[in-house]
Amino acid sequence: MPDNGLLVQMILGALLGLSVYLPMAAGQLSLATPAFYAVGGTLAALMATQGPSAPTISLAAVLLEMLLAAGLTAALAVLVGLPVLRLRGIYLAIATIALVEIVRVAILNLPFTGGATGIFGIPQPFREPLGYLWLSGALLALSGWACQRMETSRLGRSMAAIRDDELASRCMGINTTRVKLTAFVASAALAGMTGVIAAHYLNTWNARQGSFDVAVTTLAFVILGGSRSWLGPVLGGLVLTALPELLRPVGDLRLVLFGLVILLGPVLFPQGLITPALLERFGRWKP
Amino acid sequence: MIDSLLQILLNGAASGGVYALVALGYTLIFSVLGVINFAQGALFSIGGYLTFLLMGGKIGVNGALPGWGLPAGLPFWLALLLAALGSGGVSLVVERIAFAPLRRRGAEPLLSLITSLGAGVVLVNLLQILMGAEGYAFPQGTAALAQLPDALLIGGARIRTVQVLLLLISALAVAALSLWLERSRTGQAMRAVAEDPTTATLLGINSEAIVRLAFLISGMLAGLGGGLIGMSVSLAGPYFGISYGLKGLAVLVLGGLGSVPGAIAGGLLMGLAEALIPSEASGWRDALAFAVLFAVLLLRPNGLLGRRQLEKV
Repeated sequence: MPDNGLLVQMILGALLGLSVYLPMAAGQLSLATPAFYAVGGTLAALMATQGPSAPTISLAAVLLEMLLAAGLTAALAVLVGLPVLRLRGIYLAIATIALVEIVRVAILNLPFTGGATGIFGIPQPFREPLGYLWLSGALLALSGWACQRMETSRLGRSMAAIRDDELASRCMGINTTRVKLTAFVASAALAGMTGVIAAHYLNTWNARQGSFDVAVTTLAFVILGGSRSWLGPVLGGLVLTALPELLRPVGDLRLVLFGLVILLGPVLFPQGLITPALLERFGRWKP
Repeated sequence: MIDSLLQILLNGAASGGVYALVALGYTLIFSVLGVINFAQGALFSIGGYLTFLLMGGKIGVNGALPGWGLPAGLPFWLALLLAALGSGGVSLVVERIAFAPLRRRGAEPLLSLITSLGAGVVLVNLLQILMGAEGYAFPQGTAALAQLPDALLIGGARIRTVQVLLLLISALAVAALSLWLERSRTGQAMRAVAEDPTTATLLGINSEAIVRLAFLISGMLAGLGGGLIGMSVSLAGPYFGISYGLKGLAVLVLGGLGSVPGAIAGGLLMGLAEALIPSEASGWRDALAFAVLFAVLLLRPNGLLGRRQLEKV
């Protein structure tokens, strides 16, 4: 049985997987999750280390940070998404890679983010990992519930329609740019809030937390789990975060493994582990 | 003042030439398939490390085979050429694994962005396991460039010979490629496939062979860039090609997706813009390309020299 610390990391992985999944459910490839995750983590690190240094922080303060991080990343997502989402899908992929790089360079060079070493001694709201398990678990449950509701809503159906045929959806009167933007903003806010939890949990934060590698890792979560239902990225995030920890000898090969998932997944198992056929069998989750 | 400006301009043009090589690699594949090959940066790294090894460089202590190296080193020219061919070969393998199966299935083109990203990640990390994460300086440094002087004096400005070579070689490669695309029969066939693969096939052009040729050439361009940067700067770890690959994307958007003159002009512009950043702000240099990318997407999404793409129903 994995310990609570690993369980927290697995849930954080599942949350980031959901963040990559949301735009993909509308047929968009966004690699910006690490950028929003980094913005959220940096915001939390900065806010929590203001004033006299203390080893602990109240849960209310952390929740406030999450709220602000969600707002800030959502605003950033609108700013980036609005010009780009009018264009073809390929531009979003390129622009989001660019965003990851800009955020990384900014955190490395801004005078108040601690440069390459980052920010240390971020106060803890909980004494045990169990507290983080409750907090991240609650966020995951809430996000899962929202995704489940969304999939049968007008918005979710519009996303699925855009994914199947964007031009046809537009002809049917779906405001495709608005739907895509909504998915992108939700993805950003979720990654931002996850970053806040991660910054407190890790106790330290630096520019490497939001590197290009995170984009690859989180993309692997969605490809392995499947992007036909929100359960896919959650499962992928849980499994692929636990796997390298449980198989210690893999060590150096972690990124090779994730790269292989991304390289071969779309060819060998295009629908991922959670396929529509599987969901059909468990009628409750009929897509 | 004038001298140092000249120096800055030449430095900028030299790195701009390499950006143009990378962007042209993207352009070739984009024009025949309408997708981006995210493995391009990894091929850049591979070209740099292959050149290093072929020149007789030894693997460092953190690599898989510490101290291993070829018994004799080749001259830089030959090593560079062979390394470019090697990168081209790897590019063909990438096409076979990451692109061909999806194309045959008629899958969503966006999926090959994902698979090619995976291919790049696998390649770079395998390179890291083989060579270790440390940086490498080229074996004999500039001495390998025959008996050329270390630096040239041009109009009072002191320019490193290797920078001039960088500029010359990339200019030569770019010119040869443009001429070939424009004039040769195969180049015309490639442009026909870019325009409409189905019609091209009906006209007796082997589209699949043309696609493979595009991957070969684009891999060779990336490998060439990697070897040149390795020689003029150094190999800063296996990920060094990724950052050139990412900047190449910004250049691609700046010039206009699929435009050959756009890729060349965009590369030069980007190199010059970076060279003009004062040294106090050099930490921000790596963000410039991406800031430009956003500005272009906002103001002129088809790039400086791109054509407007109409969606077909």
